[in-house]
Amino acid sequence: MTNIEISNVRKVYAGGVEAIKGIDLSIADGELVVLVGPSGCGKSTLLRMIAGLETISDGTISIAGDVVNRKEPAERDIAMVFQNYALYPHMSVRGNLEYGLKNRGTPRDVINARVEEAARILEISPFLDRKPRQLSGGQRQRVAMGRAIVRQPKAFLFDEPLSNLDAKLRGQMRIEIRRLQRTLGTTSVYVTHDQLEAMTLADRLVVMNGGQIEQVGKPIELYDRPASLFVAGFIGSPPMNLFAVDKLKFAAGSTFPQTLPTGTGIVGIRPDSVVLGKNQPGIQLSGMVEMIEPVGGESHLYVRAEALGQVVTIVVQGRPDLHETSAIDFVLPHDRLHPFSQETGLRLGDHATHGAGMAVAQA
Amino acid sequence: MVENRPLLSLLTHLVLILGVVIVAFPVYLAIIAMTHDAATLNVSAPLLPGGELFNNVATVWNFDPPGLPPFWLMAWNSTLMALIIMVGKIVISILSAYAIVYFKFPFRMVAFWLIFLTLMLPVEVRIIPTYEVIANLGMLNSYWGLTVPLIASATATFLFRQFFMTVPDELMEAARVDGAGPIKFFRDILLPLSRTNIAALCIILFIYGWVQYLWPLLVTTKEDQFTLMMGVRQMAGVREVEPMWNIIMTAVVLAMLPPVLVVIFMQRLFVKGLVESEK
Repeated sequence: MTNIEISNVRKVYAGGVEAIKGIDLSIADGELVVLVGPSGCGKSTLLRMIAGLETISDGTISIAGDVVNRKEPAERDIAMVFQNYALYPHMSVRGNLEYGLKNRGTPRDVINARVEEAARILEISPFLDRKPRQLSGGQRQRVAMGRAIVRQPKAFLFDEPLSNLDAKLRGQMRIEIRRLQRTLGTTSVYVTHDQLEAMTLADRLVVMNGGQIEQVGKPIELYDRPASLFVAGFIGSPPMNLFAVDKLKFAAGSTFPQTLPTGTGIVGIRPDSVVLGKNQPGIQLSGMVEMIEPVGGESHLYVRAEALGQVVTIVVQGRPDLHETSAIDFVLPHDRLHPFSQETGLRLGDHATHGAGMAVAQA
Repeated sequence: MVENRPLLSLLTHLVLILGVVIVAFPVYLAIIAMTHDAATLNVSAPLLPGGELFNNVATVWNFDPPGLPPFWLMAWNSTLMALIIMVGKIVISILSAYAIVYFKFPFRMVAFWLIFLTLMLPVEVRIIPTYEVIANLGMLNSYWGLTVPLIASATATFLFRQFFMTVPDELMEAARVDGAGPIKFFRDILLPLSRTNIAALCIILFIYGWVQYLWPLLVTTKEDQFTLMMGVRQMAGVREVEPMWNIIMTAVVLAMLPPVLVVIFMQRLFVKGLVESEK
């Protein structure tokens, strides 16, 4: 049973810069938690604090019930996969896989068995005697993963492990990491800035911003009920449409809903929730198509709505019979609107799912 | 600059050839002189090789004039001195560079600058105080006296520091996660990665040690501690006797041989170490 408890953790650098501003998070046994956020949001710092590569300024981190604040990385029994793989260049693949086990004085036959097993799982058996520089990026990535799994650690920590791969390999490795983590059932923390990677990998997603947690939850929950404007903008591609409420009210006229919570300053809607056409329940708008991006199975329309004075992004299935400069009508269904407060940037209404309290409750 | 002017390239080649001739001609003379007997050399300096090469080499090898140790002993002293300096410098500088790059300790930068400062104070500048120290420590006429003051210098430390800074931090972090302490990390990862750098430095430092003249001259007064550089010089300086140029020149060429061989055979490693930083 490996659960990771992070309570009130802060990181203050020597110059007084506060990189992590008090974070509470509990990660359950066998769970894959993804930390996601823009660069500089502190996600990597938090991961490195769990690994023991950064000191903890305040608060505690415990792994499997042990407070590890003062423990060396090796004593925490975690394995880390680095962004640039950090393979030992002068050692063969086998040497790389063995190194951590050798340092722990593991018996030779156990080492051999574990290395063979890891190589088989990751399909790197043919390369065991090669040097890292003779491998392709994807193969190096596998070796880096292998180095983590041979140790059979309490937890895996991934620091943007796929960002040096090309898009196709990234997709492939993402699936493999997911499958591997499921099979081994090892508690994992995964850092990425790629929201698609985050959505598809995570059991639970932690969106971070400015050294704090914005929201914690299942990926789909975060997509359906973003707790703040930041999460709304960060999760989902293309990003959510956001409108100032006065303008929308003016443009919508009588079709504006009466049910929005009081204090709503900004209203958001996902591009895939907007419906083309007229005479359907919801806010009736019209505009002119400025640009069409045919992605394949779906198309992204960028429609300039004169009444709103801004461009609305709409995702439609298939390839609509439209061209640039076409005039179209579209509807924003009332039940798909996301109300936010202008001042705090937080979601309004009963469904609000914000804050660290959520994280604890979920765990 | 890539220019296509025949006249200009002719001129530059002439200048370069002139330079090579100026540098190489004395060496050529020495090599030629090594193949003649003493009588010929006392009359003129011949430009074509003679037939006395093997005689001269055999004579020099067993040459043991009054006031000088035998040639082979001086060669042995020089070799030993060069090797001790080479090994000592590499060991000390790689360890100090490791400390400076990978450990945070109080006055780390002060330590670095102090080491760096010694770059500006070569042995020749601090020779009198250094002699005083060595004399007080009773190290005159010993291999330690010959080598220790020359071992302390910053060039190699600086080179290793620059190399260690190019090693990605993640490698150290990965090693920490893998349970390697500072000594294991140094031995298992940093040392193998520095292989080519060490090889390049070995060459530079061996030659540096081999050609030392002033310092050995000062600290050795006993014959059996003399090095080749001193010996060759003293062969030429014997009063009252006609200098035996054939013997002197043969000794000079033989003394030149080890560094030349080292460079020829280790050139590939040498260039690799300076140019390529293996990642």
